[in-house]
Amino acid sequence: MEIEEVLGNRLRLKILRILSQLKELNVSEIARKSGASYRIVKEHLKILEEAGILQHKKFGRIHLYRLDENSIKARAVKALVDAWETIEKR
Amino acid sequence: MPASTYHSVFKDESKLDINYVPRRLVHREAEMRLLAEFFKYLLTAPEKTAQRVLVVGDVGTGKTALTQRFGLDLAQQGKQRGVNLHYIHVNCRQYRGSLFLILHHAVSVFHPNFPKRGFSAEELLNIFLQILDENNAYVLLTLDEFESLIEREGSEAVYKLTRLQEARLGKPQRVSLIGILKSLKAIEGLDASTRSTLQSNIVKLEKYSKEQLVDIINDRVELAFKPLTVPEETVDLIAELASSEGGNARFAIELLWRAGKYADAEDLSVVLPECVRRAVSSVFAITKKSDLAALSLHEKLFLLGIARFFKENADRAYASLTEAEKAYIVVCEEFEVQPHTHTQLWKYLQTLSNLGIVKKSVSAAGQRGRTTLIYLPGVSAHELERELYTFLERGKVSENRRVQ
Repeated sequence: MEIEEVLGNRLRLKILRILSQLKELNVSEIARKSGASYRIVKEHLKILEEAGILQHKKFGRIHLYRLDENSIKARAVKALVDAWETIEKR
Repeated sequence: MPASTYHSVFKDESKLDINYVPRRLVHREAEMRLLAEFFKYLLTAPEKTAQRVLVVGDVGTGKTALTQRFGLDLAQQGKQRGVNLHYIHVNCRQYRGSLFLILHHAVSVFHPNFPKRGFSAEELLNIFLQILDENNAYVLLTLDEFESLIEREGSEAVYKLTRLQEARLGKPQRVSLIGILKSLKAIEGLDASTRSTLQSNIVKLEKYSKEQLVDIINDRVELAFKPLTVPEETVDLIAELASSEGGNARFAIELLWRAGKYADAEDLSVVLPECVRRAVSSVFAITKKSDLAALSLHEKLFLLGIARFFKENADRAYASLTEAEKAYIVVCEEFEVQPHTHTQLWKYLQTLSNLGIVKKSVSAAGQRGRTTLIYLPGVSAHELERELYTFLERGKVSENRRVQ
């Protein structure tokens, strides 16, 4: 997937920002924090996972999503979010 | 006017904090060795077995400090030997004795944002084991104030925790347990098989003697005070007082801290025995301080309402539940939280009464029926208000809001 395709979506960027800050969350909580519906968030999480940025773990019915620690793309996203937040705080 | 310079007898007050765990526990060496014997397999072959141990002793005998020191050291040794061993210490009362909340705390060690809804305690227990399996991790889980879990959940929860492995035949043992109790009476109500599982390994902590308390106080003096600021007579007086409080080391350490505060307030260069005498007269039953800390947000707010009522009505010996409820509603307004219902308040009153913080009785039947009366036995309303306010102000409000 092309970078503009993956990152050119407001909700996906929001999800990435949330997970960069909070490290790991379940789908309902990501939906609550992003203000989107469970179903829509789930779809976007799938796209981000297929793009190799996110990974998830399953515990019974609970799916916990986080940035894929082994992914260079995920590390780049985290660095971008961190840098952005730092500059905005100044 | 010459500029005043602030002098303090303290070099590090944090060493007298209730949550401080000293590197070395004076007069608990034998008990530490016994725990090491019980759990030495965790360093050599952790997957082969799991142990359950009860640590039993009165207030201020060092149960919490002993287990925390032991657990943290053991986890450190595990790390050095390449064993992924974690020490988790949970105060069951802080989690209202709920198995679910206790397990959630344990799971949160590995996944801090793990959700709190959508599954049962049993599912959470399986999730906890799954996490440990996936990380090839082992846990020594200490359940402090174990009575609270037993009271709320009974035999079944304790049975589940102690017999984890029975449903996991062939898989590595992952969780060892320490239960901390004031008395073995708490487990008498459990069913026979659960009781027998627990009773096999017991570490009993005897009350400290006056001589032992002197050593403990001297150890803390060295850590917390500047040299030569605490004379021998002061240490001796504190030990004497703590000894008469049932060999309570926590009381001794709290008294030492307060006496130091009085010395600082008077701008003294040493902590005189007079500072101890003044401190002891102001000390609100310190044995209850940990009880206060463990109360839920609304239990604290309700108690604060009761304290305020008695502060404003110094001539009254008791308050009715209605009067206490009115005071509680005002407190809730002050802390900007929604008041709980009358029925819930009655439960909080039950808890406070069971802890001995308040006393309740029912008035004789009159024209308007029976009334629940609330007393504050032997506690200054001012002091209680101050203690509660400190807890609530220390950011406990936000912490408790999360727990609610």
